[in-house]
Order: sequence, then structure tokens, then C-alpha cells
Amino acid sequence: MSAIDRKLLDELGEIIGAGGIVSRATELKVYECDGWTVEKRAPDVLILPRSTAQLSAVLAALHRRGIAFVPRGAGTGLSGGCLSLNAPAMICTSKMNRILEIDFDNRRVEAESGVVNLHVTNAVKSRGYFYAPDPSSQVACTIGGNIAENSGGPHTLKYGVTTNHVLALEVVLPDGEVVELGGPAEERCGYDLVGAVVGAEGTAGIVTRATLKLMREPENHRTILAAFPDADTATRAVSMIIASGIVPAALEMMDQLIIRAVEEAFNVGLPLDAGAVLIIELEGLEAGLTSYADEVAKTASLAGASSVRLARDEAERALLWKARKRAFGAVGRLAPNYATQDGVVPRTCLPRILRVIADVSRRYELRIGNVFHAGDGNLHPIILYDEREPDQVRRAIDAGREILKACIEMGGSLTGEHGIGVEKIGEMPLMFSPDDLRVMTELRHVFDPMERSNPGKVIPQPGACVEVAAPRRQAPI
Amino acid sequence: MATASLIPLNPARGVSDYDLLFDCVHCGLCAEACPTYVVTRCEMDSPRGRIYLMKSLAEGRIDLDDDAARHFDLCLGCRGCETACPSGVHYGRLIAGARSLVEQNHRRGFVDRFKRRAVGAIFPYPHRLRVLLAPLKLVDRLGLRPALRAVLPRMIDDWLDLLPPLEPDLRPLARGATIAPRTDAPTVVVHRGCVAQVLANSENLNSERLLAAAGYRVVQLEPTSCCGALDLHSGNGSRARDFARANVRALKNSGADAIVSAASGCSVAIAEYGDLLRDEPQFVEAARAVSSKVRDLSSLLLDAPAGPKHEFRCRVTYHDACHLVHGLGVREAPRKLLASIPGVTIVEMTESDLCCGSAGSYNLTEPAMARDLARRKADNIVATGADYVVLANPGCEFQIAAELSRRGSNVKVVHLADFLAMASQ
Repeated sequence: MSAIDRKLLDELGEIIGAGGIVSRATELKVYECDGWTVEKRAPDVLILPRSTAQLSAVLAALHRRGIAFVPRGAGTGLSGGCLSLNAPAMICTSKMNRILEIDFDNRRVEAESGVVNLHVTNAVKSRGYFYAPDPSSQVACTIGGNIAENSGGPHTLKYGVTTNHVLALEVVLPDGEVVELGGPAEERCGYDLVGAVVGAEGTAGIVTRATLKLMREPENHRTILAAFPDADTATRAVSMIIASGIVPAALEMMDQLIIRAVEEAFNVGLPLDAGAVLIIELEGLEAGLTSYADEVAKTASLAGASSVRLARDEAERALLWKARKRAFGAVGRLAPNYATQDGVVPRTCLPRILRVIADVSRRYELRIGNVFHAGDGNLHPIILYDEREPDQVRRAIDAGREILKACIEMGGSLTGEHGIGVEKIGEMPLMFSPDDLRVMTELRHVFDPMERSNPGKVIPQPGACVEVAAPRRQAPI
Repeated sequence: MATASLIPLNPARGVSDYDLLFDCVHCGLCAEACPTYVVTRCEMDSPRGRIYLMKSLAEGRIDLDDDAARHFDLCLGCRGCETACPSGVHYGRLIAGARSLVEQNHRRGFVDRFKRRAVGAIFPYPHRLRVLLAPLKLVDRLGLRPALRAVLPRMIDDWLDLLPPLEPDLRPLARGATIAPRTDAPTVVVHRGCVAQVLANSENLNSERLLAAAGYRVVQLEPTSCCGALDLHSGNGSRARDFARANVRALKNSGADAIVSAASGCSVAIAEYGDLLRDEPQFVEAARAVSSKVRDLSSLLLDAPAGPKHEFRCRVTYHDACHLVHGLGVREAPRKLLASIPGVTIVEMTESDLCCGSAGSYNLTEPAMARDLARRKADNIVATGADYVVLANPGCEFQIAAELSRRGSNVKVVHLADFLAMASQ
């Protein structure tokens, strides 16, 4: 029996107007999953506030009834972070999409959490600035979602992930209280509460505003495409490049399966016979860039590159990045569904983990493509499957789990940027001891003592259970 | 209310389109490219949401209720999502299937039915539209349009807003009266469309003149019938195919090497005849051949040696008509052509490729959303400070001109063909 009754709907309607409430089954259906489509559950009500005040009043109303809620931005997440799990209400920030203040002198921008990532850069690029975290979904994903997942992107290698770019947050706690965390100053003292909220995947309330750092566009770029006979050679080149003392702004790898999908989709002119390619981007002052680029090209050739090519102009560079950033979607041309893993390994372990992935692919009889942030060892094995075949779904889940296990064994991590969500919650105990998880829970309780904000995510709970389309893994702790 | 559980999406064509739904990997990258999502910011008004509704319908997980129909209806069919989609989803074909399903299984309210029938009964037939507009032409000549509008019901009044002032027809290009093209010059035919030949024939005629001046042999098309896009976009696939067959015959007989239309929606419809008639063995080959010949005016003009250029000093902003940019993938050619005119300064507008809300007959059937988008477009145009907004589709022209005139702006809205003709005089 749903906790959402007529009386509550009326009350919510009074707070934000009928246009901001969705409660009919057909319309709610489209909110039953995000980019992680393995598990599905539609919320009982969807609420789209337009301001912090509205959102706060909505959370207060839910609080009075003890109703749990799940926050959602654009629904592009890949780990089921906004799956409506044990939470009847979904709160979507898509209508809170105003950029409130741009302060070029102090290099910062204040934006509502529903602002699309790329729109921040679009708003400041005419003055030569940009917002650094650039996840592949940046044309659609929201700043709020980026904060929840602590998103990265290809340029993470040089600039760091979302948490390195957030100065201050306005957060609505699950009881409706609005709190300000952090501040405009670059250096802060005391506990880093902003850092606690970034990456909490919506379990610490809902972020409504953020003050973000702006970066100055570098004077120039050199974007290099290096082709290799196989993934092994390519990943060894990655370590050699970094070891040579040059840290590129981005260092990305695509394997043969991905090269073919991307080439079919975008016609970039990638070498179809290559086993893997690296996209290496250098940036900085024009003086020196050319010699760095030569150095990188030399290192790549030394490592065994079959060809090394420099993007001729901005158009070619843009095309390369378009191909790289839309590679996930391009994979849709190969199979009806895919699950993307997001494990991290130390850079030097890349050749080893790719061999593990190839082996998993063979044993589970599933095609797996690799397109990832090689520079920081953040893998994205894309496991192809067809959701209409339950056995394939099961194999895809198990294959992903085995890859993650291997990442942990090599001293890596479960996720680089996609978050734990529901997808990897069962693997959390692989990485964290029961004590670790207890401390995390205690920290969460500072913000959300009743665990009503995005319940069932990040921290596994004994006995948590939900009816979903696919077998869900329970974490024994 | 009819329910459509377990009815395959496109019952007449079997379940093949159900498989096409699986091209969508639910990544969501299309959302911000979708004009209706940009306005409502709700998932069911995004391409991914609509595809999810189609999938859920086909799987019997939802019924074809008012809500589902509503969200399909609200789609402009602009194909902005296809440009954004990395997975190559054939959204145009999917939404056409969904619209057929709605037409066949869902009963609309009276006003809605009336509007859609009126559009379908009048627009594809130029002579009917001419007869209907004859009295209005007289009214315009007498300067009585404001008086007429004062006494008309609201809906008709809104529709009249979109009608350009009715001027005497331009004289058609005399047969063979071209600047003696070389004998080996490629031949081009300009498909004059249905509504366009009544309300915007100067664009057709200027297209022909510009092509002839650029050295192409311009041949005439007899007879010209509606391309079928209006039907295809309103769920009437069978009549769309009737029109398509007639056009395939005529276009094939014209012997043209290239097919151009001043309305980009028509260009795309013709470019997709091969797909539309895929299940008709006796037509599909000819249809594919015709489809492969569709070009756009600006690319053809760019390919040809440039004519004499006079200086035309003005600031121009260019609006990307949806089907030109998302359907045919033409983005740079018109801009290059404009930039080649001495004195023209191009100022890019924000969201130049976001639909203006015209979308065929959409602004007649979905006036509220169309108006929201028109306002957004007008804001972006006015912000550029341009003297002219140039575009390559008559529907956009009427829609944007109406909005700009409502707010008393003096930015002039001109079709690319008319603008080039004007600049070369």
C-alpha cells in the first residue's frame, strides 16, 4: 500500500502547483530507471520543485509522514543511484536549472543543482573559462548528479574530480532544514563537510545550489591519436608516457570493439585494424607544447604504436572527443543493452586487468568492450547483453562482479566516477570492513538519521530486499 | 478509451519496429536536444521517455491512455534527438509508428479531432488552400485583416496569426528561360510542396532562379503533390504512402539528377521514401533511387561557381530548420553561402538548432507548446541584434515572423532563397 495518499498529493500540490507533481502510473513509468536499466521500480509520486524553498517545504511534508524519497537529476547515472528503491517519492531537480551568479574575478559560478554540466561551461566560455569535470554525459547530466556521484571525466587526470571543484553547497536535509556548507574561500578550516556530501549519492539530503570553481582555458592543445596492435601494448604505453614526466590533460583508451562501434557512428577515421587506440591530450602554454607532443609521440612509438597522428585543427579535435564521449551510446549499435563497470586499478596493473577482462568475456560468453580513462587507471568495461534473455542478464551481472573483484585484488577501487548506487552495493564489503561501513553509516546519520534520503544506496544493509527485474545481490555484513 | 496492451507498435507492419526500440540504450544524452524536454523538463517529454513509453506499450506494461497519447502528440518530430543520439536510434520512424498506433486506437476530444481533420483535408491540396484563402486575399487587399480577426473565434484567430500577408504570386520561371546551362550541366528539380506553393512560392521560384544562375539545368515537375510529411507526422501512414508513390513516379520521370525543396521538411520526407515504401517491392527500388537524389539548395549553390556578388551590408543570424540540420545534416553550407556575400556579418544565435515550434502543422494542433518555443526562439534572435534572421523552411518563417511581429520587433525573417536573390540584385 502506497504511503502517498490524496491528502499528501493535495499538500504537495499546494507547495509547488499541480504542474510540478506527477502521480499517474503511465507517466511515472518513465522514471523507473536511469542509465542502469537492469533494475526497475517506478516511484509512487514524482515531485519537480522550482526552488530551494519549495524543495524544503516538500521534504518537510514528507518528513512529517516519515516518507522516504530518492533525488534525481537528469537520470543519466550508470549505477542506479536514482532507482526508486524503498522510497515512494522521487524528487527531480530538473526544473531548478538557473545559473545564479558568475564571478569571473574570483573564478567561480553559483548554480542551482539542476543545471546541466555543459551549460556551466557554455555560460563562461566566451570569456575563456570552463568548468573542468567533464563526464561523458555532460551534454545532459546535472551538476547535482555530478556532486552526488563525485563525477569525473577524461580531464580528471589533470584537473581532479567534482569534489576538487566544489567550494560551497546548499543542502536541504531530509527534515526540510536548509544548510549551507563550505564557503567561497579557496581554503577552509574545520571538517570538510562539503567533501562528505560530494559523493554521498544523495544519502545526505538534496543539494540545491553549488558554488563551483572555474578554470581558465589553456592557451592551446595538442591532441594525439596513437594506434596500437593490441590493448596490452597500448596500456604499457600509458605507463611509459606518465613515467616520462609528462602528465597529459587526458589519456584515454578505446579497444577494437569500441573503435568499430565509434567509427560506425561518427566516422572519425580511427584505424579499424588497430587493437587499441590512445587519445592523448596535452594542454598549456603554446611555448613548449610542440616539444611535449613530440616527446609523447616518440614514447608511444617506442612502446610499439603502429601509427601516431596529431589532430590537425580544432574541428578534428572536437570530432575525436565527440567520438570518445559518445562511445557508450555508440555501443548501442552492437547490442540491445549494456552494463558499464567503473573499477579502478593502479596504472601499472592495466595490462593485467585487461587480460582478466578478456578472460571473463570468454568464460561468460559475453562481448566486453573497453573505453576508459587509462591515465588514472579508471576502467570502463562495457558488458553487452540482451535484457530479453534472463540468462544473459545474470551472466552480465556476474561477469561485472568478477571484474570488480579483480580490481580490488590489484589494490584498486569499485568505482572511479559512476558511484555505487544499487549496482555495486553488494561489492562494498569486498573493499570495506564492517567497521568501515559502520563508520560511514554513522556519518550518514549526521545528515539523515532516519535514512530516508535515497535509502538502500551506497551502504549495504543486511536483509535489504526489493522486487526487481533482475536478481539483486544482497550484501551479508 | 481504447487500450493497446500487447498490440505491437506498428500493427500494420508487424513487430519489426519493436526491435528498433532496443537501439536506445537509455543513456539520456538526447534530453537537452529535445525542445519539449527543454520546456517541460519532464522525462516523458524527452525522446528517451517517449521511447520508453513505446517499449512499455509494446510490452503491455502500460495502456495507451490519454497520458501516453498526450506525450506522443507533444513530440514535434524535429529529430534533434537523432543528431544527439550516439546509438543511431531511428527516432523518426519510431515516432511515426507510435503516431499511427494513437490514430488507430485512441479517440481524441472533439476540438482536437476537428483541427487534425481540417489540417489533413486542406493543407496537402494547394487548390483547396487557394480557394479557402481567396476571400482572405481580398480582405488583405482592403486592409481589413485586423477587423476580421476581431470577430473570429480564438483558435481561428491564432491560426491567422501564422499566415503571412498574402501577396500577388511571383511570376513563375518561364520554361527553358535559364542562363544557357552547359549541355552536361546536372539537372535539378525543385519540388514546390503543397502549402509552400500557395503561401511561399517566391522561395520555390527564387530557388529555381538561383540554381539556373549557378549553371544547373532546372526542370519542372509535373504534377507536384504533397510530399506526405504532414500525413506521416500525424499518424496517417497509408495516405503518406499514396503521396510518396505519386511523387516517386513524377520525380523519376523528371529525370533530375538532384531534387531540392525550399521546405526542408519535404526534403527529408522525400529522402526517406526508400524507408517509407520499404514493404512495397514494386516501388522500393525507385523510391530509394529518388531518395538518394535529395540535395539542399545551399550545398548545390556552393558546389557551383559563384555568380557576381554585390555588397549587401547587414547583420544576419541563421536559424537551423530542424529537418535541414537534423534530417539532412546540413549545418555549414547555408552559413558559408551567407558569409560569402560581401558586407554580411553573421551573428550566431543561442540554440540556433532548437525547433521554433512550427514543425509542420504542430503550431496549429499544439499551440501552447509551439508558442513557448516561438518565444524562446524570438528571445534568442532578438539578443543577437541582427537585422535579418535567415532560414530555409517556410514553416519556420511564418512561425518566427508571427512571434517577432507580436512583440513589435523589426528583425526581418527571410528564406535563404529569397535572401540570396535579394542580395544578388
